[in-house]
Amino acid sequence: MPPLAEVQRRVRDAMLAGDAGPLASLIDAGPRDATRRMAIHLRHYRVSLIAVLMGRFPATTWLLGSAQVEAAAAQFVGAVPPDAPCVAEYGAAFPAFLGTWPAAERVAYLEPFADLEWHFGRLSVAVDAPAKDAGTLAALNADDLVDTVLTLQGGTHYCHASWPIDELLAIFLSNTAPEQTMLAEQPVWLECRGTRGDVRINRLTEGDWTFRQAIWRGRPIGVAAERAWLVDPEFDPGAALAAMLGQALVIGAVTRTKGTDS
Amino acid sequence: MSSIPRALTRSGVGLRLPHIEEAVATRPAAGWFEIHPENFLANPYATELLEELARSYPISVHTVGLSVGSAHGVDRVHLQRMRRFVDRIDPVLLSAHLAWSTHQGEYLNDLLPLPYTAETLAIVSRHVAEVQDGLGRALLIENPSRYLGFTGSTMTEVQFLNELVQGSGCQLLCDVSNVHLSAHNLGYDARHYLDGLPAAAIGELHLGGFTVEADDAAPGHEVIVDTHAAPIAAPVWELYGHAVARFGPRPTLIEWDNDIPALATLLNEAMVADDVTRRSSRLEQDHAATR
Repeated sequence: MPPLAEVQRRVRDAMLAGDAGPLASLIDAGPRDATRRMAIHLRHYRVSLIAVLMGRFPATTWLLGSAQVEAAAAQFVGAVPPDAPCVAEYGAAFPAFLGTWPAAERVAYLEPFADLEWHFGRLSVAVDAPAKDAGTLAALNADDLVDTVLTLQGGTHYCHASWPIDELLAIFLSNTAPEQTMLAEQPVWLECRGTRGDVRINRLTEGDWTFRQAIWRGRPIGVAAERAWLVDPEFDPGAALAAMLGQALVIGAVTRTKGTDS
Repeated sequence: MSSIPRALTRSGVGLRLPHIEEAVATRPAAGWFEIHPENFLANPYATELLEELARSYPISVHTVGLSVGSAHGVDRVHLQRMRRFVDRIDPVLLSAHLAWSTHQGEYLNDLLPLPYTAETLAIVSRHVAEVQDGLGRALLIENPSRYLGFTGSTMTEVQFLNELVQGSGCQLLCDVSNVHLSAHNLGYDARHYLDGLPAAAIGELHLGGFTVEADDAAPGHEVIVDTHAAPIAAPVWELYGHAVARFGPRPTLIEWDNDIPALATLLNEAMVADDVTRRSSRLEQDHAATR
């Protein structure tokens, strides 16, 4: 009998390859064929994770067809096993995997659409925290403001696509999918916000999106404003900040130079 | 095991995500709920609802992801997340499986069987201690559902569990359906298995449904697959009666994880369990009185 670590390595390899044959000398089921019994575990791994992925990507399945998504999922679960015990966290890498799938050649927006759907699902289980009000920033002096890093609600995600993938998702969610729909290439800058089962996708201007996305990624307000000015010289950071506070988006503010939580 | 926590004298039901909003809204007549923390750790909204329920119901936490049988060790990141979770929920019971599911950072989404050897016993005992220390609570270990064993096993599952209890001080969660299923699949006597377990260490009983399939491993025969997708089968109710007579009443849970029916169906199954418990306890008392 090899050491347990070696036994488990071999079982892991069999699970991912979907072939219990190499385990024949290790396993035992009395007079029964033990490799066929092991196949119950192999099947469970494959079938349960494919079901997880199909359940997480219903809109992508609607777009591409269940046969295509199931075939991609079957390859994905053999190539990319979960890396955490919470299966709800499994599938973040599936949109990128789909982007390499042959069907992606005829659906140019497949990967960003699947990625939007992934985040839509994750945000639906988020919970809003108490938001900061305008007084939070008013209490800072102007010099400190540019070095202040804001924390946004946990149920927030920013993405950009060259196609109106938000419209496509809205069609799916409305349950009124037409037989055909024309999708013209058009850049969109999206802000997704979710809390307690409710998810909204807002289109932003490129300037607002760049500013908010930089803040979301932990950049100080000054850096975020400079990035926004690069894409929109008319961008008004004061108005943008006021809008974010008004939308209860900001839950924390720390001025880096002083390291104080305001 | 000196006594059952008072709050758990009625049978509980496994609470899955499709039922949680209904449970919060209707406050059903459940004795208690058991949850899988892995369903909640990535779901802040469900955790918020669970916290609300935990103010009115005893909650048991039954992890499917701690993998105490993994040779490469317990996932410490997961253990830390679990610690924060159990501190919020303050469960009355905490349990895990005699199984493994992780291998060097990969999670295989199944409760995989272990060879029963001295090496495995040392590894599982060490991990049980680590989990108990990490979570600051006593851990119950559940007997697995099995379709196969290992050629290199040097002890039976019952011997292994007895040694584990003695060595680690943990208690046992006896899944009666798993006993029936494994006994059928591997050809041993389920009652004899139950009779071999250390009665004083049994802290909880589980009952779940299964699916009977044609056995590819033995043409013409059937294999029982642990799907938790059906009502409790008649032979399991009978075995449960034997378990109660042998161990005495224990906190008992109805598990249903796939093709999940209405919550009322689970509550009805829990009432049946309460009935069987009452009848089997009475029988045991009658036997004791005549001895």
